[in-house]
Amino acid sequence: MAKQIKAKKKLAHKRTLGSVISFERRKSLEGWGFSLPWVIGFIIFIMVPLVLSIRISFYITQLTDLYGFEGQSKWNGIQNYVDIVQDPEVGEVMLNSFLDSLWQVPIIVFFALFVAVLLKQKFAGRVYFRVIFFIPVILAGVIMSYLFGEGVGSISVFGSLVNSSSGIFSSFGGKITQYIGDIMWSSSVEILIFLAALQSVPDILYEVVEIDGATAWESFWHVTLPYISPFVILNCIYALVDSFTKYNNPVMSMMNEMTEKGTEYGMASALSWMYMLLALVTILIFILFTRRWLK
Amino acid sequence: MTKVFGRVSDFIRGLVDRYRNLGYKAKKKITFIIGRIFLYYVLIELAYLFLLPFIYILTTSMMSYQDYMDPTVEWIPTSFEYQNFVDAWIGLSYPRSFLNSLILSLGSALLQSVSCAIIGYALGRFKFRGRNLLFIFLILVLLIPPQTTILSSYGMWATFGLTNTYAPILVPCIFGLGLRGALFALIYMYFFQRIPDAMDDAARIDGAGPFRVFIQIMLPLVKSAISIVFIFSFVWHWNDNYEAPTYMFKQNMMTLQPKLEKIQTYYAEIMGYTGEASDFDKAMTEPMLFAGCLLVMIPVLIVYIAGQNKLASGIERLGVIE
Repeated sequence: MAKQIKAKKKLAHKRTLGSVISFERRKSLEGWGFSLPWVIGFIIFIMVPLVLSIRISFYITQLTDLYGFEGQSKWNGIQNYVDIVQDPEVGEVMLNSFLDSLWQVPIIVFFALFVAVLLKQKFAGRVYFRVIFFIPVILAGVIMSYLFGEGVGSISVFGSLVNSSSGIFSSFGGKITQYIGDIMWSSSVEILIFLAALQSVPDILYEVVEIDGATAWESFWHVTLPYISPFVILNCIYALVDSFTKYNNPVMSMMNEMTEKGTEYGMASALSWMYMLLALVTILIFILFTRRWLK
Repeated sequence: MTKVFGRVSDFIRGLVDRYRNLGYKAKKKITFIIGRIFLYYVLIELAYLFLLPFIYILTTSMMSYQDYMDPTVEWIPTSFEYQNFVDAWIGLSYPRSFLNSLILSLGSALLQSVSCAIIGYALGRFKFRGRNLLFIFLILVLLIPPQTTILSSYGMWATFGLTNTYAPILVPCIFGLGLRGALFALIYMYFFQRIPDAMDDAARIDGAGPFRVFIQIMLPLVKSAISIVFIFSFVWHWNDNYEAPTYMFKQNMMTLQPKLEKIQTYYAEIMGYTGEASDFDKAMTEPMLFAGCLLVMIPVLIVYIAGQNKLASGIERLGVIE
């Protein structure tokens, strides 16, 4: 009898161990489950092409040889990387564009936050203004290249745009106006992200601080900003990535020149890898530093 | 001089005193009015810069060639030349290209707003071994320009015989990748992180399974994220002139963007003009080109206006529960 009870107890113990996993472990498993599709896609669509691209960076190769590395591609070891590090021009362009990104990003994010806060107010014509600030994204692509006057002879709206602007902006010099125009045009994605973030701040919080007698200024600093701080970081990350990879970035155009020559695919690939690593490290450092501020 | 200065400062002091003596409601009203004046001034000033290129496209697309070349006609055309739009419609092969663009943009916007939510949910709400590594990979994907991977991707799709289909664009979207998929995952991640833990713990204690928690509790809380991801994905796929034309290069599988890029050539082909067009001939059709730009833009404008209305409905539910 006692033996039987003991056996039963043992069985019960076993069952709990086998069928019930701890809460922590279950959550971790779920996390993996939800990331599984992305991981599969990553391996197929990103990892395989990337490995190939790393391989190219160790060769001297041309466009015509690229499929399967037949023909004249030659193994070049790390010589491509050494060439790039030793080339003073590449270093200079890279450093300059890197520094440019670093000072432009805060301005873009600050401007976007400013406009988003304005657009969040309830006022007549809000919908129209929201559409207007999204126009740069809609005009991207071929239309933009027409407007900038690439290809089509006499059209360059952007030049006349910044020169003919009214009011406060025309009082600055031409170059500064152009900078301002450029920065504003690249901030519409950030504006929309901030707008969505601002919409998600519960109205009840504002009502609470208003009853406590806070001014609009105080409620911005103590309610809005803490609530949307993760999105400030998200926008900084996006603005960094955007300025590193946009088409008129000097390093990107340098790479394009190399690929257009057709003979320097290996070099271009090596340069793109070094540049990407630099950008990745910058962004990761940024995330590590801002993590403390988030909590 | 000092007298004038003194008078002005007296006047200002008087104003400030009067403001101080006002009641709470009147004070609030005055701040409100000053705020509105400031708001409209800044917005109109900025809007001017953003709107000008659009107005340029709009007016130029209506001009006849004479107007276009006439330096005295700067903004307002003397007559409305609707022939431009007819020509652009023909040059773009509008119905067919529109359908291609629509299938690609709508398809990937729908797929990405679900699949990127899944990976964003995993990264934003779960702590598991390898999460940080996954996050680093996500940032890496964000940084890789399509130029880096397109050669070997093209080779892969070509071996399956899937070029000139919608698959090369749509299939990566199923997995939360595709055009700027990493950015969308990141947006979702930050939105999901914002939700208090108590929300899904409560649902779990009530016995909801992982998928139910995700679909019924979590997704409704990030409505604004869903709408911006949908808008961005749609607009960026619509404007994509790199990946889609690489995979879909047959005439009847082309999207609007590559058509617009060579609209003058296609127009000449369709109308039966042969030979290389001279610069002068090309200039003749420039108003048509801007009519084409307008035709390409209008659908995106509609999607954006419809989508940003959804944005306004935000997360009111979260406020109620807190």
